[in-house]
Amino acid sequence: MKRVLVLALALVACLLVLGLAACGNTSKSDLDYVKKNGKIVVGITDFAPMDYEKTEGSGEWIGFDADMAKKFGEYLGVDVEFLEINWGTKATTLETKEIDVVWNGMTITDEVKGLMGVSEPYCMNAQVVVMKQDIAADYTTKESLNTLTFAVEDGSAGAKALDELNIAYTACDDQAKALMEVASGSSQACVIDLLMAGAMIGEGTSYPTLTTTVELTSEEYGVGFRKESDLIAKFNEFWKKAYDDGTVMQVATTYGIAQNIIEK
Amino acid sequence: MSFWEVTLSLLRGLGTTGRLFFLTLLFALPLGLLICMASTSRFAPLRWLTKTVVWVVRGSPLMLQILIVYYGPGLVFGWPLLPRFIAALVTFAINYACYFSEIYRGGIQSIPRGQYEAGQVLGLTRSQVFFKVTLLQLVKRIVPPMGNEFITLVKDTALARVIMVYEIIWIGESYIKKGMMWPLFYTAVFYLIANGVLTVLLNKFEKKLDYFKA
Repeated sequence: MKRVLVLALALVACLLVLGLAACGNTSKSDLDYVKKNGKIVVGITDFAPMDYEKTEGSGEWIGFDADMAKKFGEYLGVDVEFLEINWGTKATTLETKEIDVVWNGMTITDEVKGLMGVSEPYCMNAQVVVMKQDIAADYTTKESLNTLTFAVEDGSAGAKALDELNIAYTACDDQAKALMEVASGSSQACVIDLLMAGAMIGEGTSYPTLTTTVELTSEEYGVGFRKESDLIAKFNEFWKKAYDDGTVMQVATTYGIAQNIIEK
Repeated sequence: MSFWEVTLSLLRGLGTTGRLFFLTLLFALPLGLLICMASTSRFAPLRWLTKTVVWVVRGSPLMLQILIVYYGPGLVFGWPLLPRFIAALVTFAINYACYFSEIYRGGIQSIPRGQYEAGQVLGLTRSQVFFKVTLLQLVKRIVPPMGNEFITLVKDTALARVIMVYEIIWIGESYIKKGMMWPLFYTAVFYLIANGVLTVLLNKFEKKLDYFKA
């Protein structure tokens, strides 16, 4: 019974999508579509420091991506509307025009590239090794790391990177705990992601004596559009301009991710 | 991951839990008596000092104490750290000794004064009265509240996971990251069995002390 119901629903859904696609406005220019609407809808999730609410429940979104999205809206001369989406179905949400752009620290993977049009990478993230400054000079290559004792979040990308290097580690519940392990001397080094490292270690933080050293793996962030949208070119143009006049770095510094921005 | 593999790995975690439990009792039971004596001492400074320590230890979260004992020396002074298990054990022993001390005190003070006076009349010293007259009555009276603490301790050992002592809850939780929810809930079975056995043993022990009609 249940199976029949699911099948029937799926069929209805297919028909609906087909119907919409057939009778939908097939104007080629996404730019015109957005301008005609007078607004661009940005798909996000709650993901500090890229997109998050200024105060919980206020509906006022800030963050590096959110602030840049507002500037992109200005550049296009349209309003910006943020919509929290289900991250798993972002490509579908984009296709059905619920949103016009996915802008939420999205890692560029082959899967993503197959599902949507992606901008040039604007930001990078990496799994980096963190240790105390006074020993950092002795460990500058991946090969030198295997004599250190490591702490790393259980099941994280950092843990996978260490597994690949055959380095043993103490599994911790989260990245913050891994940092505490290093600061207290319980472990000599930990692996966390660069975004987090930017916000949590170095001068002006609770961990002024810690520093980042070797990068183990890295990934790049891009902004997602509908396939072959003319907004992609427009975005790349906007970004280049904002990078050149210093806007990008200024916003990045506000959110502590200046070290992650890709040079243009 | 089959059911048996999960069970085996959880049993390994239960081993750590069990070691922590028994060693904590081993140290906390006598230490509690010591603290109890100090907190009822006739030497006022010692009494106040002990009472302050008991207040701090009972008044702050055990989880915080574990973090402080383990990370504190390294973070504040740059000293080398205790091994994880030892740090957890030290914290648990001190924490539970403080609770035990109050239970002991309650037990001691519940023995009618008349018994001490009678002992004195018969020419016994204070310690003779304590060991020959009151001690066993006291044991019987404190078994129920102690049983409570033992059972709480079985479950409190789970807090040791904040300093990465891989006890049973940690292992259960680590399966969540592999996409398996049930091992964490399954750990409850192990706790229930352990506490079931403990309850039966405590009941038996209490029955053995029944010949005191105190």
